[in-house]
Amino acid sequence: LHYIPQELVLEKSMNAISTKRIAVTGLGIITAIGESIAEFQDALFAGACGIGPISLFDTAGFPCQMGAQVKRRELKAFLKPKNLKRFSRCDRLGMIAAQQALADSGLVFEECDRNAMGVILGGGAGGMRSWEKYRRTAQDGKIRPRPSLLLPFATCTLTDLIASYYKLTGFRSTISTACSSSSTSIGYGFDLIRSGEQKMVVTGGSESLSELTFAGFNALRVMDPGFCRPFDKNRQGLSLGEGAAILILEDYAHAENRGARIYAEVLGYAINSDAFHMTSPDPEAKGMSRVIAKALENANVNPNQIDYINAHGTATRVNDQMETMAIKRVFGNAKASDLAISSTKSMVGHCLGAAGAIEAAATVLALYRQTIPPTIHMEEPDPDCDLDYVPNHCREQQIRFALSNSFAFGGNNTSLVFGRVN
Amino acid sequence: LKLKAQRGPIFLTERREMTDIAITGIGIISSIGIGRDAFWENLKTVRSGVKMITSFETDAFRSNVAAWIHDFDPAQFMPFRVYRRMSRISRMAVCASVEALKDSGLSTDIPERERMAVIMGTSYGSSSHVEAFYGSLLKDGPRGAQPFLFPETVPNAPASHIAMFHRITGPNSTFCQNEISAESAILFARNLLLQNTVDVALVGGADELSGIQYSCYDALGVLNRVRVKGDSTPKPQPGGGLILGEGAAVLIMERLDSSLDRKAKIYGILKSGVIAGGIVDIGHYEAEGEQMGRAITSSITLAAIEPEEIDQIDVSANFSGELDRMEYRQLSKIFVERQEDLIVSPIKYLIGDFGGAGALRASAVLLSLYHQWLLPAVKAETLKGDHHQFGKWNLPRPGKTRAILMTSTTFGGGSTSLVFTKMPIML
Repeated sequence: LHYIPQELVLEKSMNAISTKRIAVTGLGIITAIGESIAEFQDALFAGACGIGPISLFDTAGFPCQMGAQVKRRELKAFLKPKNLKRFSRCDRLGMIAAQQALADSGLVFEECDRNAMGVILGGGAGGMRSWEKYRRTAQDGKIRPRPSLLLPFATCTLTDLIASYYKLTGFRSTISTACSSSSTSIGYGFDLIRSGEQKMVVTGGSESLSELTFAGFNALRVMDPGFCRPFDKNRQGLSLGEGAAILILEDYAHAENRGARIYAEVLGYAINSDAFHMTSPDPEAKGMSRVIAKALENANVNPNQIDYINAHGTATRVNDQMETMAIKRVFGNAKASDLAISSTKSMVGHCLGAAGAIEAAATVLALYRQTIPPTIHMEEPDPDCDLDYVPNHCREQQIRFALSNSFAFGGNNTSLVFGRVN
Repeated sequence: LKLKAQRGPIFLTERREMTDIAITGIGIISSIGIGRDAFWENLKTVRSGVKMITSFETDAFRSNVAAWIHDFDPAQFMPFRVYRRMSRISRMAVCASVEALKDSGLSTDIPERERMAVIMGTSYGSSSHVEAFYGSLLKDGPRGAQPFLFPETVPNAPASHIAMFHRITGPNSTFCQNEISAESAILFARNLLLQNTVDVALVGGADELSGIQYSCYDALGVLNRVRVKGDSTPKPQPGGGLILGEGAAVLIMERLDSSLDRKAKIYGILKSGVIAGGIVDIGHYEAEGEQMGRAITSSITLAAIEPEEIDQIDVSANFSGELDRMEYRQLSKIFVERQEDLIVSPIKYLIGDFGGAGALRASAVLLSLYHQWLLPAVKAETLKGDHHQFGKWNLPRPGKTRAILMTSTTFGGGSTSLVFTKMPIML
């Protein structure tokens, strides 16, 4: 047998009583409002809108023709792997974010045990856009479609690509729970470092716009024909978006020892199920309330210590109202009124499988910069959403602890708790 | 809690150190049997689920066989109004969960539902619904796209349906990691149980066979080129390519201490599990299988057992030359002392290859431990593509089994290794 240190056996059984802390030491992001961390945070705090007409595919005939599309046309300019042509758009976005995040973390791979470095991502439609090209070409029947377009269809392709490209041979997993996928990947990465199984985990997710999801949400009639307006009285639904965000999670002591910059600390998370309906949240917001409360419990953070909530905030009526109800239920009306709450989706759209990671990155940046990003397009408050949604302009204020919510199709809820690092 | 000290892996003294996970219920929908008992009886006779496909047109393809399910009727498990809008994969998954929960004795005495998890693994979810929805868009344009088809296109639909059916409000997640999807789900559920986040986890894997999925695999040229007519028995070529399959299995997992507290029937114990990553090109298996060896040795060490105590090895061989040869190579290195007579159980040769297959293989392993009956097995040389050995199964028979290693590897570079042991004898 290969030699396995005995400490590994002991650490496994100490999973539940671990006191390890988990740091965020690297960020990478590409969205419609910014294609690097520097661009993204400038746009995030300036309240930029990335939602506009979609050029990636023909949207004629759809009630909504807008989305938050990443503008850079030559995504491959970032990357030079030999088999780049086999990457889907989702994979390219994810590889760009991973490249940025790993560079940002300052990790020197030669000094790391790569078996203790894992990759856990969340995914939505994955390489659907590539499959659509294959399927449409086959339907047209003029030319034979390239079978290589099928290779990146699986949701886990990006996970495998990042792990192989950077030779990260530790833990590997891909979670697919629609809009909460990448939030849960951060939670699972947190668990693996806390249990001592891994020293560092690449977490996050990627999503590209695709005809299937665009047609699906249009068919469900939940899309705003203009741009989405979370928590606004006149909202008409969500705007889809695309992008990727990668967060490097690392054993806090390991990060400190190597003198890494620590953006924030991951303190805990929770996941649960509404067990109610495939597309509608529980009308009493029971699942949302419980997941927020459980995440706070897991993080050992008192509700009174939370200063900021990055809301799921899709801009559908039921989501906005249920999320508001859940926040009031957990924090109480008085504390809920004091909380700063904002929806990043008002700027980058709903990036489905990547949404949780993008919003987690926004939350981490808010903690790091001690500035709360705004909810844009808020003109007339909804009487049923009567909390402080930080309308239209960012706000500098002290943030000690922050929460990031993700509520998905199928009733899959995830809440993450982050803390400021002094 | 006192457990009888005996030779082998079963040795626990203090409750607080317990990291063992008990499996207390099994539900199966498979191509070799609907229901746990039918699956086990057919496995004991080495019945193959591979047969000619008649559920969709295969004339345009180079192959026409798969391990598909021809006699599945969800009405045996739930009312029509419940499954009317569900995809095939969701129906299979929910039905497997109904059987598993009933088997565990929890269905009539369901504990706190918030302390129960549903964790599933699947490669693609409902590919038939993806095709049906996108097909409706191509055919009829944006206004013709059928909204009721869309919710079932997400891979987490089966896990969500299970949660809704049983009103389970605890953690819910879905893992998509190609051929180790179900194994990934098992390990995440173990993580939740060990952290005491939940008391019970419904864990499993599911995949459906669809025309669009089959056509894509055919276009990629990775299928075993077998064509048969009528009821004739397909004879896949060793190393000749994949034989696809479908099915679902759900396991009920609990911490050993809590399962003992409620005096549950225990099929076996999950002692340890490891995932390791390899470096490989997209769409391929890692040639040497270093990560597979690492996963196996780590899991055996974490289980605190010796390799000699592994009485059976359940492999993920699936007729693809790359994977089968790599598994042979790594197992020969690790179990070097029994290389001459190494036998392995390639259950996917019977049930086909799919992302959720790990849950069916784990079910087979647990049933073997519970009944103390050896799994169907072949000489390890068979995995090398040895035509002389192919088809020569060691028929299952009663036999003492202390521990079974279940090793799985997927294209894309991930490997998992799980160590299951039999239930300790109580004093």
